[in-house]
Amino acid sequence: MIEIIQQIINGVAIGGVYVLIALGLTTVFGILGIAHFAHGSVSMFGGYLTFFFVTAWGLPLIAAIMVSLVVGLMLGVLIELLAYRPVRDANHINAFIVALGLTMMVEGLNLEFFGHEQVVIPTDLDRVFNIGGVTIPELRLYVILAAAMLIVAMTLFVEKTKTGQAIRAVAENRDAAILMGVNVNTIPLVVFSISTALGVCAGVMVGSLFAIAPGIGEGLVVKGFAVLILGGLGSIPGAVVGGLVLGITEALAAGFISSAYKDVIAFVVMIGVLLFRPQGLMGKA
Amino acid sequence: MTRNRTTLFYALALLGFILLPQLITVKYYLHLSVLALVWVIAAQGQNLIQGYTGYVSIVQAGFMGIGAYSTALMGLHFDMPVWLSIALAPVITAFFALLTGYPSLRVKGHYFAIVTLAFNMVIFIVLMNFHQLTQGEAGITGIPKPGSKDGLFNFRDRETYYYLVLVIATLMTGLAALIVRSRIGQTLVAIRQNEDLVGAIGIAAWKYKLFAFVTSAMFGGLAGAIYAHYQSFINPEIFGVAQSLDAILAVIIGGSGTIAGPVIGAFFVVLLPEYLRFADSFRLILYGLILVLATIFMPRGIVGVTGDLLARLGKRGK
Repeated sequence: MIEIIQQIINGVAIGGVYVLIALGLTTVFGILGIAHFAHGSVSMFGGYLTFFFVTAWGLPLIAAIMVSLVVGLMLGVLIELLAYRPVRDANHINAFIVALGLTMMVEGLNLEFFGHEQVVIPTDLDRVFNIGGVTIPELRLYVILAAAMLIVAMTLFVEKTKTGQAIRAVAENRDAAILMGVNVNTIPLVVFSISTALGVCAGVMVGSLFAIAPGIGEGLVVKGFAVLILGGLGSIPGAVVGGLVLGITEALAAGFISSAYKDVIAFVVMIGVLLFRPQGLMGKA
Repeated sequence: MTRNRTTLFYALALLGFILLPQLITVKYYLHLSVLALVWVIAAQGQNLIQGYTGYVSIVQAGFMGIGAYSTALMGLHFDMPVWLSIALAPVITAFFALLTGYPSLRVKGHYFAIVTLAFNMVIFIVLMNFHQLTQGEAGITGIPKPGSKDGLFNFRDRETYYYLVLVIATLMTGLAALIVRSRIGQTLVAIRQNEDLVGAIGIAAWKYKLFAFVTSAMFGGLAGAIYAHYQSFINPEIFGVAQSLDAILAVIIGGSGTIAGPVIGAFFVVLLPEYLRFADSFRLILYGLILVLATIFMPRGIVGVTGDLLARLGKRGK
């Protein structure tokens, strides 16, 4: 039983990372209709940057994350302006192929700058709490808390602020939003900034909990989309539920079945949801 | 181009491919040409789903892997004749395509692309980790060539194998042309242009999409099987997501939704890395850049651009 609780806690931590990735994807998808495949690689770029600032420049972790956020945001905005904007009015398959090309480019950049070796972002958060036989590493606890805070902040922003309202308006009906005076040229930039910021945070979490290496980003973005399939596209509660379900399933699969095949099991769960609840666990029929 | 001129064009192209081994002096280029022809088969399949139906599948290399391992393992464990195992490989691939296509194509949106990409990752994980069956990263060696040593054709000879692949690639290109000219092909194009309209006139679009996907997978499986018997060695490395992206690139660069496009695109993706040897670490960046720029500036590919140029020249001539 203790072993099960242990794995569920591990699953919540990685699930939190998946939720952040999925939220970044679903905002971009909602506004621009783009399956932003490069998101995972951008997120890894953020993780690599943080690693670089901590180890090479000796910045404290928080400062390194801040600088990485700024650089990451610039990359995100550039991607929107230079790559996605030119295909905005073309067939949606074109934007999708551009996204695949971008993934290759960002992966290539990561390889070029940071090499093939896997890196782990060093933190001094190495205390371990023991609650009734269940061990919770301090780092894992902070990751769960930080993810929860970001999810709440994101929800409040979208629901309560004026910019958030404009974003929802464009997602609902772009033409009507233009008529109401929403500037549809700046909204994508705001959306990409939010999405990239969430991505960079997720990248830092992956880099400190596990490791960053070539190819991890592609795996991460697939997980992000899997979360959206599980939870239902375009819904924040759906992304939270989907992310936690995926994270916990994976942790249990890794703990009790096989860690090599945990991704295969996650895939089977995804196919199962598509077969029996194609609108997602939280989506409306 | 008029019908006659199109026929003439394809006849000339075929003649060129028949003469190619006689013109090539360096053995290595013959090897690359065989690989390119294998990729023509895979790219024709990719074009059916991506170019004609408008759904991006990111698992073509994975299907090549299923085809390659199917034929190799059936030969190894059941002592099956090579021709039979090559013929069965696409059928096995089709089974896996049904399994992933059915749930993901019934729902609309981007689910299909994501499920196919995830499936390619699953294929790769299984090929890498299921040692008892696939021998993992080390791969399978000693896959036999078709035919006997004293038969009419000796397929151990590279040039003979080239002609074998050429025959199959030509047949498969012809098959793709037949499919897209049929009523089914017309429906696929209609789905690409306006899926809601197709549904509105009472056609179950998902059946046609599933047909296109399963057929494209069979093309991939066949290409993989032919590859396995050509190289006599396979390991998971070339059946990953990166190679599936190559298939997408081949279709876009060549000209998506055209029959000649995948042929040109396949040679492009096989030969390009050879010319980019000097820029090995930049390869990924350059590939991505080509994909992005091609999609933005020439979405109709080499075939589209050439067509426009020819039309312009024709006008000037008059």
